[in-house]
Amino acid sequence: MSVAVSFALPAANEATSPPERRGLARDGVRLLVTDAASGLNRDARFRELPSFLRRGDLLVVNDSATIPAALTARRTDGPPFALHLSTRIAGDLWIAEPREPVERGERASLANGGAVTFLTPVDDRARLWYAALALPVPLEAFLARHGAPIRYRYVTEAFPLADYQTIFARVPGSAEMPSAGRPFTRRVLDDLHAAGVRVASITLHTGVSSPERRERPSREWYDVPARTATAVNATRRRGGRVVAVGTTVVRALESAAAGCEAIASRGWTDLVVTPERGVTLADGLLTGFHEPEASHLDMLRAFAGAPLLDEAYAHAIETGYLWHEFGDVQLLLAA
Amino acid sequence: MNDYGWFERGHVAIVTGASKGFGLAIARELARAGISLAIDARGEDALAAAERELSQSVEVVAIAGDVADAAHVHRLVEAAERRFGRIDLVVNNASTIGRSPLPPLEQLSPAAFDRIFTTNVYAPLHLIQHALPIVKRGSGGTIVNVSSDAAVEAYAGWGGYGSAKAALEHMSRILAAELEGSGVGVIVADPGDMDTELHRAAVPDADRTQLADPRDVAPALMRAIASPRPAYLRVALQAEVPVEA
Repeated sequence: MSVAVSFALPAANEATSPPERRGLARDGVRLLVTDAASGLNRDARFRELPSFLRRGDLLVVNDSATIPAALTARRTDGPPFALHLSTRIAGDLWIAEPREPVERGERASLANGGAVTFLTPVDDRARLWYAALALPVPLEAFLARHGAPIRYRYVTEAFPLADYQTIFARVPGSAEMPSAGRPFTRRVLDDLHAAGVRVASITLHTGVSSPERRERPSREWYDVPARTATAVNATRRRGGRVVAVGTTVVRALESAAAGCEAIASRGWTDLVVTPERGVTLADGLLTGFHEPEASHLDMLRAFAGAPLLDEAYAHAIETGYLWHEFGDVQLLLAA
Repeated sequence: MNDYGWFERGHVAIVTGASKGFGLAIARELARAGISLAIDARGEDALAAAERELSQSVEVVAIAGDVADAAHVHRLVEAAERRFGRIDLVVNNASTIGRSPLPPLEQLSPAAFDRIFTTNVYAPLHLIQHALPIVKRGSGGTIVNVSSDAAVEAYAGWGGYGSAKAALEHMSRILAAELEGSGVGVIVADPGDMDTELHRAAVPDADRTQLADPRDVAPALMRAIASPRPAYLRVALQAEVPVEA
């Protein structure tokens, strides 16, 4: 078992709004490059990303689009409460997170005559529930009208859904933005192309993370298409590096790994990447900064090793890097 | 069947500016997927060559003309309907950069500005207006408007083109709102810097080896078209260099 490092995240290190609303370009956020080969951490701007990659490297991105998954539910006899849709299982059946305690079989009303019934908790923590929706209109239309992006306490204002989409967003389905892709802009993509770095995509629909609880990520749906599996294998065979854009991409790729090869696959994954398990298909990871004790930190250690990662995080806190979905990012390159 | 989801052999697409560059690359991908084509371009010879090539795999109607000419656009839609009886996809690709080298807005004449808007905004609207009633008769369809990051970023010298593409994008969003529930989706596609005639006119001294080949970008558009159809999608396309196994 790896030991979860504990650190306190100062309020000054929290990104409370998108960089564009802080006077920065999307691609103007900071980039901390943590290179296990040299054992060094280096400060940069995200726009400089292509200069840290090599001709023949492959970036793998998540093309899942964020859905406005936060709804308001009402009990007949109580005040309204927030309901976060997390993962669509099939049809109207969801894994959802009521932000207040609910009881088995309880029914609450939604906007416009809609309703939700909480069937049974997913596990004994009773944070996530299997829930059945009954909506008056198709889901997409209902969410477009009555949903909002899921927002946690550190984001102080409501921002539009567009602020929660990455340039890669194509397939709607994520409860929370796959945020490592957020700083990418057209010009960064064009610079990457000019630098001989290719881009391939997977789809993984993120569930709710509920960062105030420090739990392992739950089961999520993913798709690694054949063209991406082929590109990953060809890149590695030729000595190029595969850099995952986001922990979701690592999860999807490793779920599609058979030995040291990627195979096209799709389905549900429970996989949690730890240093003990290791990573077989990704040589690098671009990711945001994660909360203390988050299970994602285990995945990061699998790329950079605990001492270097601890050093990086200490440096990031000290020099004012910003955490969360609108914050700065880190490029971890394995040795 | 082909690799492209809801698309089926026998479906019909209109692609403007399809004799060269990105338009031809899109038309080739559609032809490979078995989609019948109605195409246009200003240059008759290049269009005839494209028609010869594409008609080896699918049925093709080619009408030479300028999309800035509303009567031509009308003829194109009529020809598609007469030949195929249906239209499933409209790709507004034809576009102009205006005068080269690109003048700053201070020196851009209203007449030149108007010409850019005629080709890049009014023409797509005309095509959509003529084609939509036919698209709606089917089980669903997609309108693709090819845009640019110049619609979003403020690049000096790109005032006419960038403003026109911004107008096209907002028009697309409003169209999507108006089409909600109709089964017709709207896609705005930003293909990025490609090695095309338009790019050479805009940036004559660009290092062409650094630019994406439109043939590598078109497959990304195909997948955007084929993915589950949201009412509105803006997609930044990335060149996909085929990596052999």
